Amino acid sequence: MNQIKFFVPLTLLALATVKGQLCSLTLEGRIIDLHEGTPIFGAVISIEGTTLFGQSDERGYYKIPEVCKGSLKLKITHEQCNTIEKTLFLESNRNQNFELEHHINELNEIILSEAAVNQLNLSLTESRLNAEEIAKLSNDNLAEALSGMAGVSVLKTGSGIAKPMIHGLYGSRVAIVADGMRLQDQEWGADHAPNIDLNGFESVQVVKGVATLRYGGDTPGGMIVLNPQKAYLADSLYGASVINGVTNGKGGSMSAKLTRTLSNGYYYSGQFSLKQFGDRKAPDYILTNTGLKEYAVGMRMGRNKIVKGWHLDYRHFQNTTGILRAAHIGNIEDLLRAIESSIPLRIDPFSYTLDAPKQEAKHQNLQAHFFNELNDQSKLILNYSYQRSNRKEYDVRRGNRSGQAAIDLTLNTHDFLGRIEWDKNFDWNFEWGLNGMIQDNFSNPETGVKRLIPDYIKVQAGSYLTGSYRPSTTFNWEWGFRYDQIAIDAKKFYDTKIWNESGYSSRFSDIETKDFGTQILVNPKLNYGNFSGQTGVAIQLGKNLTTRFSYLHTQRAPNISELFSDGLHHSLATIEYGNLLLDKEISHKLLLGINHTGGSLKYGIEPYVNWISDFIFIQPTGVELTIRGAFPVWEYQATDVLMWGGDAYIEMTPHTNIQYKAAAAYTYAQDQLAQNPLINVPPFSLSQQLSYHFPKSALEFELAHRYTAAQKRFPNTNFYISQIESGARVQKEIDISTPPPAFHTFDLYLTWPIQQQSKVNTSLRIIIQNITNTTYFDYLNRLRFYSAELGRIAQIQLIFRY
Amino acid sequence: MKKVFSVMLFASLPIISLFNACSKEDPEIVEEQELITTVILTLTSNGAPDQSVRWTLESADTPTISLQVNQEYKVAISFLDESDPQDIEDITEEVREEADEHQVFYEFSDVNVSYISGEGDTIDEDNNPVNVNTLWTVTDSGSGSVTAYLIHEPISKISSTRDGFGGETDVQVSFPIVITE
Repeated sequence: MNQIKFFVPLTLLALATVKGQLCSLTLEGRIIDLHEGTPIFGAVISIEGTTLFGQSDERGYYKIPEVCKGSLKLKITHEQCNTIEKTLFLESNRNQNFELEHHINELNEIILSEAAVNQLNLSLTESRLNAEEIAKLSNDNLAEALSGMAGVSVLKTGSGIAKPMIHGLYGSRVAIVADGMRLQDQEWGADHAPNIDLNGFESVQVVKGVATLRYGGDTPGGMIVLNPQKAYLADSLYGASVINGVTNGKGGSMSAKLTRTLSNGYYYSGQFSLKQFGDRKAPDYILTNTGLKEYAVGMRMGRNKIVKGWHLDYRHFQNTTGILRAAHIGNIEDLLRAIESSIPLRIDPFSYTLDAPKQEAKHQNLQAHFFNELNDQSKLILNYSYQRSNRKEYDVRRGNRSGQAAIDLTLNTHDFLGRIEWDKNFDWNFEWGLNGMIQDNFSNPETGVKRLIPDYIKVQAGSYLTGSYRPSTTFNWEWGFRYDQIAIDAKKFYDTKIWNESGYSSRFSDIETKDFGTQILVNPKLNYGNFSGQTGVAIQLGKNLTTRFSYLHTQRAPNISELFSDGLHHSLATIEYGNLLLDKEISHKLLLGINHTGGSLKYGIEPYVNWISDFIFIQPTGVELTIRGAFPVWEYQATDVLMWGGDAYIEMTPHTNIQYKAAAAYTYAQDQLAQNPLINVPPFSLSQQLSYHFPKSALEFELAHRYTAAQKRFPNTNFYISQIESGARVQKEIDISTPPPAFHTFDLYLTWPIQQQSKVNTSLRIIIQNITNTTYFDYLNRLRFYSAELGRIAQIQLIFRY
Repeated sequence: MKKVFSVMLFASLPIISLFNACSKEDPEIVEEQELITTVILTLTSNGAPDQSVRWTLESADTPTISLQVNQEYKVAISFLDESDPQDIEDITEEVREEADEHQVFYEFSDVNVSYISGEGDTIDEDNNPVNVNTLWTVTDSGSGSVTAYLIHEPISKISSTRDGFGGETDVQVSFPIVITE
């Protein structure tokens, strides 16, 4: 009937006969959520003035057959979405997609749900921490919080300093992205923890590989992306507070955030965190000088009008971290004594005092963000950040100089990222961006200690193009390229003796600026061009089974430390030298992911292989005689490395109240030139969690177990010293290579939602880590020669949401 | 769309111009404050010739200490910072001032020499000698070596082995010793 109505106008009929198929055109396509990119089911698309309509299926597809040629007025409606109207001119069969936007109220719910965070790269598996998990881990630092994920490990310096490690890679090979901009701090140091407070963020995404070329193409390890809370588009005031009290270290932390949103799109939010600990405790002794003081403040204001918006953001992070007193040593015989002793050589009574050795880090970040949807298909996003990072390191010094920093670095970074996202239609998406950065490092000469890192200016400019093709929900192809030009202009003092002996004087005589006798000032100007590319597919094989396959090509210019590092490391009694001759590091990484998601069973296996040529690493090259005795010299070098491994996880819900999770990771890394295993590679690890949810009281009980194997593959970096023992000289081996034995740790979590109904949502959690008070040593802790890891830690946590 | 692209291209100009933007000023040279470049042992005795041995990073050979059996030697150790020849600093003063935090220790190998605190030595608050000035007693002939240590923040100030003192080694230098009849 309806169709007959349509055929009525005689003029149209006449025209139709000319072409033969005037009203036999098909309009089809998909209806997708504007913000999520997910299909919308049950949307009705109707052609006004006709009775023709179509309805979208579960995958968002609709189809309207027998449409006439000409101008069509379309109306797309869905009960939860804002109705949109569109005019199209139809000449032939057409594939047309539409984006719908949920009603404001619905939108809030969606924005607040976990799924609101878009997956960064569909062809790479991603792990995530949501707001609830962040609250649970609110007392931990970033690296510790992520360590529960398969394939993520932690490189530690004592108990307070932790760096995230992904697939055995860390530092400059892992990017940390906060609120859309890369964190620019002194990430190159193995003992430099990222200057960021997890509590200021709503979710964390971890991708093992270059998640998106938007944030750089130089991180073969992976990317850690921290996202702030999105703002409601309604009049509202909400927030959350977490308070932690911890026995070990007799300290705790608290954090609070509050957000005010208005229906006109304006929002303001503020956040702060405080943390303080005294000396931590291993099972049998106090870890002297391992306290911590930290505070972080964040402020944000902006306006979100869905299609257009901006925000300004300011974050301040500051901490002072004590380093185990016993780990500050004078020479290698001191190191030998520490290794031979079963307890730290210096144990003082518990104290909150932070003495040298310690680190003070201060990071400030000012950021502006703007976006504008230019039309249905394209969106412009501009980001600018200014980051100022100051790091002071204090050593135990003579002559009352311990209060004077031995290292004092100030890094100023201006970073701009502009991009255009373009959805050609729903199948093809493109993104093009420009990135410019200028970074200035100043090493304060007032320290009275030779600069570890020279003064430099680094300029980086890059552009990238990425795209995806997604013809259906079951297939997705992604690709991208990025090119970066990096220029480093450094001014460095070399010891004249070293400058001559290393052969630099003949090779680089043109960059010598001024001769000061024992020292020489040189001005290296280095340029690197990095090309990165990636491609990957995600294919849905069955209802619940997805496979992902990706190839990632990354190039990384040597970082400042690798090029210029120059100084003595008191904790390892090593002299470290950078290497001016290093070339860029080139990595090829293949990743496969097979993930099954079902109602009561989820599992995934993610093997990978990574070939890195000119891989930059540090290794002992000789011995240098100093007035403190002979010191091993470690120098940055390049080799070719083969890495492979795999991560696997499983999540089971055998009963509605019982959940079991397990994750395992293994990494193999081999120096192909020396035919040796690579140093500091995480050993096999397995973590398991069993939780039981008491149906009546809503009490949740979780037991976690972690097994870390002994690393059997390690290079031998031991050395020998001649020592006087009972009046005679003897040769002694200093074993700094052999990894510690395997260990098991058990943690317990008890969560009790005290009050869930009223305006304030309160829950209480009791956490006991290392229940058995086991003494264990972690291969990835650089201070493992001096002390065991922390003993039992009991923690009480109160969470309020309002 | 075109407009946006031109905006982006326009934005790329200042990014590229960054490359010629600025150059850093020459940094100041760092005055190393805690350097010890030289260790000198001065040995005086009534019956044997006086001698002074110097250990520096630059000198290729370490001088030998020649001792005579059954002699007593007053041995003074001094630590110098000679990195700036115009301004030689005597670090020994600092060691004496911070007597509680420092300890000098001699360890002999393959020779029979014993020592006690000597005339002019600094005594710390707990009445322990720092051993900047010592008295060495030589009993047998032979040859071996002595290692002189300057220990910072020792855990114990009374010990007969390096291990017993704990702390961190600020100086560790060895001299060959020849003891003749």
